[in-house]
Amino acid sequence: MELLLSNLAHGFGVALSLQNLTFALLGALIGTAIGVLPGIGPVATISLLLPITFGLPATTAIIMLAGIFYGAQYGGSTTSILLNLPGEVSSVVTTLEGYKMARNGRAGAALAIAAIGSFFAGSVATILVAASGPLLTQVALSFGPADYFSLMLLGLIIACVLAQGSVVKAIGMVVLGVALGLVGTDVQTGQQRFTFGIPELSDGIGFVPIAMGMFGIAEIILNLERPEARSVLKSKVGSLWLTRQEWLRATPSVLRGTVVGSFLGILPGGGASLAAFGSYMMERKVSRGRHEFGKGAIEGVAGPEAANNAAAQTSFIPLLTLGIPSNAVMALMVGALIIQGIQPGPRMVEAQPDLFWGLIASMWVGNLMLLVINLPLIGMWVKLLQVPYKFLYPSILVFCCIGVYSLNNNVFDVYMTVLFTVFGYMCNKLRLEPAPMLIGFVLGPMMEEHLRRAMLLSRGDWMVFVQRPISATMLGIAAFALVLMALPNIRKGKDQALAG
Amino acid sequence: MRLTRRAALAAPLSAIAAPLAAQGWPAQPIRLIVPFAPGGTTDLIARLIAAPLQERLGQPVVIENRPGAGATLGSQMAAQAAPDGHTLLLSNIASHAISPALYANLRYDALRDFTHIALLTLNPSVIVANPRAGIASMADLARAHRESPRGLDMASSGAGSSNHLLIVRLGQMLGREINHIPFRGAGPAMTAVIAGQVPLMSDSLPSAAAHIRQGSVRAVAMSSAERHPAFPEVATLREQGFDLVTNSWFGLSGPARLPAPVVERLARELREILSLGEIRARFAEFGGAPGALSPAEFTAFVAAELAAWAPLVRESGAQPD
Repeated sequence: MELLLSNLAHGFGVALSLQNLTFALLGALIGTAIGVLPGIGPVATISLLLPITFGLPATTAIIMLAGIFYGAQYGGSTTSILLNLPGEVSSVVTTLEGYKMARNGRAGAALAIAAIGSFFAGSVATILVAASGPLLTQVALSFGPADYFSLMLLGLIIACVLAQGSVVKAIGMVVLGVALGLVGTDVQTGQQRFTFGIPELSDGIGFVPIAMGMFGIAEIILNLERPEARSVLKSKVGSLWLTRQEWLRATPSVLRGTVVGSFLGILPGGGASLAAFGSYMMERKVSRGRHEFGKGAIEGVAGPEAANNAAAQTSFIPLLTLGIPSNAVMALMVGALIIQGIQPGPRMVEAQPDLFWGLIASMWVGNLMLLVINLPLIGMWVKLLQVPYKFLYPSILVFCCIGVYSLNNNVFDVYMTVLFTVFGYMCNKLRLEPAPMLIGFVLGPMMEEHLRRAMLLSRGDWMVFVQRPISATMLGIAAFALVLMALPNIRKGKDQALAG
Repeated sequence: MRLTRRAALAAPLSAIAAPLAAQGWPAQPIRLIVPFAPGGTTDLIARLIAAPLQERLGQPVVIENRPGAGATLGSQMAAQAAPDGHTLLLSNIASHAISPALYANLRYDALRDFTHIALLTLNPSVIVANPRAGIASMADLARAHRESPRGLDMASSGAGSSNHLLIVRLGQMLGREINHIPFRGAGPAMTAVIAGQVPLMSDSLPSAAAHIRQGSVRAVAMSSAERHPAFPEVATLREQGFDLVTNSWFGLSGPARLPAPVVERLARELREILSLGEIRARFAEFGGAPGALSPAEFTAFVAAELAAWAPLVRESGAQPD
């Protein structure tokens, strides 16, 4: 403990130097800006800014890049809540309840709880990284392919079970999402699936075109259809701060989100998106406001926002302790370190104490900065909703196009966005929820990969899924969830039949 | 009459216009297309050479990541660019040796559609093992493979990669197929080896070097012709009785018919850049040896690589379409 404190003190010494503070602030500001601009994500920004970091000392460079990364997490929630425009996987979940809250005139409260929840979770996760990073890595490493598969199966089942409205439609959308996720090169044989000879499809359909088209742009079209909805949003900005009731409801969600996010962030390949989905599912099931889900429940914003920020911090753990990047942003961090002549890996803590502890301290400093930047801005963001639509929408569309194009510097992704916008509009007319589809799209291919890898390793023996304790537990919970859901559904179905 | 006279005057002008353009080169920022995502080995190499190149040419060298389809999307783009020396490509073993055999509907010819300028670096593959797997040499590996009832598992960064093809060859030499476990990229595969889920992996040296140095995995054999200067203790496959030499490589290429002065200038600058102490040290850190081939030699090298990998790709069964 004493050693930890002295290490942290050393870290704060590094992080609080004028140069590092300046670059942490710069990173946080850039991150917030790109988070707010739909579609321009941290991956594109960090890769653009990578050359600038060459001239900086390694620690300063990483502190700035890390600032961009979690700044984007903060900023991403802003457009999700105000405009239903998720720029990243992890902020899709925030649109579900956050946008509804904004429509109810609670945009300020939603933005506030997102920022506060993120700050709290970020602080806890930072301490976790400092105190038990290496230990947690060992836990994460004990997850084998079979365990991942069972974990994701559990996720998909819960996604179906908790969907709004018709369960059949939800299952259909999940399956469609899985199918879309399977487009591209088969990992095992290198075979192309469902690509119709289009080379751009060989790496699969991008997430951002789907999310942006189905959520954001489809929503814009729907808004243009009903002028009355626009005026409602315009007149009802509402109080910017949380009511006592909202505080009471959001606090437990933030705590749960922090725990879920911290853990799922460590899993290689998991990261912020899995954390946000996980927390959302949990809140729908256990929170006091679960009956209000779909109508703008604050729990549905507080939990996932806390979770994705906690995960954003803890996803540094595999990088810092193993030298293994758990997502694309972390891969860029590895690149930045290698260019600086530093090999990330288990020895980094001893070899580069300034970098390691300085980065950890700067995470907390950066989170505090983000809170300070974001809370006063809430009023300004909410005013954004009062911008006349004839100015707001065209500019959103332009930013979306730039953002989507910048993913791969390829106009193909823009066409895909248009395609999914049309599809998203149709889904809305048919009352099909896009969220389960997106969950299927994200989890499906990962599930397939882990399933087939588990099968390859066990030489086709299915028993591996029940022999491994982690996997068996997950499958047990999944079965339990199915049974639990089946019972009231049978009753509800009967009730509806009688009433109808 | 006037027209023909003008045409007659213009003809010799246009004939010298091309060399003139080359003299004025580079007149604008140079686009360096990297056919992989930012952060990977290819991207790193591009960024390492872009900085000194930009200094020497007096024009910014802008890196443009165009990932996708086994590096073929970015390469196709470079092939179709104007051959004025303002668009270059970080060519590599995937785009110019393996993918041409892998993808039947490729829209470029790895030789005809490019001007190959310089080989930047060569990296061997390395067989690594989890330290608890009890495999320290190829003899250990062969014995474990023979004695295990189910045979050995070996991870790679993906189906159709040069590392996967190495596993296929090894299996043929051992007389029993090695169970190939493909991953999405070297990072997740290395995680699985360190965690002990897969005992072995065939990896490129740049991504494996740090883990070997840190002792989180053990190097069993190197696929280069000679021992690697950074890892003199690791014996080559050939030394251990497996006559197999493979290297992944990275080079600089441009569209076909680049003006000769541009090619010469680039080749000269790159030769000097590659001999810089700092660049050599960086390349050595992640395990690559700097290349030293003239444009003609590099073109012959690409042709030889194409011929060498095609049969292996067929035998591996990897088939994208």
